[in-house]
Amino acid sequence: MKLKTKLTLFNAISKLVIVTLFVLLLPAIIENINKNYTDGRLLKQKNKLLQIVKERGIKNYIEDGESYGSYLPLKEEYISLDTVENGYFLDTIQDEQRLVERDTIDYRILSHTFVVGGKTYLLEIGKSVETIGETTGPLQNIALKILLGMVLLTILADVLYANYILKPLSLIIKTKLIGNKFPSFTLYKEVKTSTSDFQHLDISIHQMIEVIEQAFQKEREFISNASHELMTPISILQSKIENMFEQEDIADELKVRMLEMQKILNRLKSITKTLLLISQIENDQFLKEDQISVYTLLEEVYNEISIRLEERNISFEILIDEDVELINVNKFLLFNLLFNLVNNAIKYNRPNGTIKVTGKREAVSYSINITDTGIGIDAEQLPYIFDRFKKIRQSLLQDSFGLGLPIVKSIATFHDITITVVSEKDMGSTFTLHIPQQLIQTA
Amino acid sequence: MNVLIIEDEKALAYEIELFLSKNNFICEVCFTGKSASEKIAVNLYDFILLDLGLPDYEGLDLLKEAKKSHPEAACIILTARSEVNDRVKGLDLGADDYLPKPFSLLELQSRMQAITRRKFGLVNHIIELDGFLVNLTDRNIAYQNTSINTITKKEFDLIAYLLLNKNRTLTRGQLSEHIWGSIINDDYDSNFIDAHIKNIRKKLSVHAPADWLETVRGLGYRIKTNV
Repeated sequence: MKLKTKLTLFNAISKLVIVTLFVLLLPAIIENINKNYTDGRLLKQKNKLLQIVKERGIKNYIEDGESYGSYLPLKEEYISLDTVENGYFLDTIQDEQRLVERDTIDYRILSHTFVVGGKTYLLEIGKSVETIGETTGPLQNIALKILLGMVLLTILADVLYANYILKPLSLIIKTKLIGNKFPSFTLYKEVKTSTSDFQHLDISIHQMIEVIEQAFQKEREFISNASHELMTPISILQSKIENMFEQEDIADELKVRMLEMQKILNRLKSITKTLLLISQIENDQFLKEDQISVYTLLEEVYNEISIRLEERNISFEILIDEDVELINVNKFLLFNLLFNLVNNAIKYNRPNGTIKVTGKREAVSYSINITDTGIGIDAEQLPYIFDRFKKIRQSLLQDSFGLGLPIVKSIATFHDITITVVSEKDMGSTFTLHIPQQLIQTA
Repeated sequence: MNVLIIEDEKALAYEIELFLSKNNFICEVCFTGKSASEKIAVNLYDFILLDLGLPDYEGLDLLKEAKKSHPEAACIILTARSEVNDRVKGLDLGADDYLPKPFSLLELQSRMQAITRRKFGLVNHIIELDGFLVNLTDRNIAYQNTSINTITKKEFDLIAYLLLNKNRTLTRGQLSEHIWGSIINDDYDSNFIDAHIKNIRKKLSVHAPADWLETVRGLGYRIKTNV
């Protein structure tokens, strides 16, 4: 999940939880506030009444032995004054029921006793609880609506702001991490942001890419220079040995040893030439301007390699449409790619085995499968077969120095061809070349 | 024939000179581009062997100079430079061949012979070996009047190379390099020369024993002839 989405989701959920809690608590809060307010009013009314009694005397309300009562027509409020026996004391505010004209009504009642002229009176002021509660429902409703509106507004604001503030981050991810073919040698483009974390991230990524690029560049240069520098001494040695062969007075025994030297020199030469080729490919020194049919290429490979097939009595079948033409390729390189794959299919085959080359048109590519009936590749070694000088167990049995598949890989990458390998131990391997549409001539 | 060797690597220049002198070429050696430029301006050569990577001179410039003053001289570029384009550029500027280092001296000689044949129009270069007629120009082999069609291109390449170096033992490595040299693969010791020779012998022996194609024990093969 994206950071932006996570942030927004968290914000929204936390706000909704808080609002819901508040709305649920609202009745209790309102009741509390109402009670306090009502109690305050009751006390005020009591004081006012006592004031009146003090100023005008109790007789204003009550005759001897009589009681006084008054209520509003809808009975939301009432007031009553009674004589009670001396010594009776009451001063409370509580919820009680009263029967008023056959209606039992819940009241908040203030009860207060006071003494005037040697007589004790009980004052009751009541306020209907219903009128108090009436307000909570609508209040809750309104609060819920207003708060939900506010929450939606803040969520919207959050989304917009998160979008804005996280934009540099998505830009960094999009342009520097996802879109980049690695190692890429594109120029550094600063992602504009005032957030220092992102600035730091951007610069760090750039610096890391730069370091890696430099390492790649150095490796390329090193391989290129090293293989070049080795060419001249190899050349001199080779010439010297050849000239020594020319000398007639050299004993045969010595010649055999010179032959050994020549063999070793040839090995050194092969490795150096191969490394040089790889570095030339990686430095884009080959043109891709040739046009050739896959079938012709395979036939050429067959012509060069048929002697090896004969030696091991391996049958070779080319089941490819003759009209599949490749364009914008380098013929020399593709020949070497196929040669190495077929050569491997021979080397790691069993005697009397078979090699089948098949072609298949796919949606956006053309695939060439080279299937052998050989010893196969261990599953745990499969990921490493394209690594330079990685000698996997099978190849140790053969006279190879572990650069065959790396050449194949370099040439394929150079042409945007992808390779997949399927292999089963002791059953054989299939190397598949996925040739992209732009290399195939459309009729 | 006169050969000018332009090569700044003295040890290599010396080996080339030694080899070519033994094979009846008259050699001159230059270690610098400057001295080569002077020599080209004054003397006449049949072959100019030019190392492109000279420290004091742009090799391709020297090629231009050489082609200007001796259009008839054959130029072979010898180079360890990696630029693939060099080959194209060199051939465009009129070089007759291009030999990347490291190269075999035998290969150099065979290229020089091929150029000689081409330039000096030796038509129907036919060599006779105990009744077998090898035509190096048309690239075919016949016994008396029947041409032997079963010989493949590779097999003929081998016969021709051995014939160019007649009476000289060629090792399997040298033969391999000649016929598979441009292929880059990772086998260092697998050459299939023996299989090819076996096939050639089988195909020729249908007509007559090809005793001139000799195996030199432990070393390689040679074609023996006194023609």
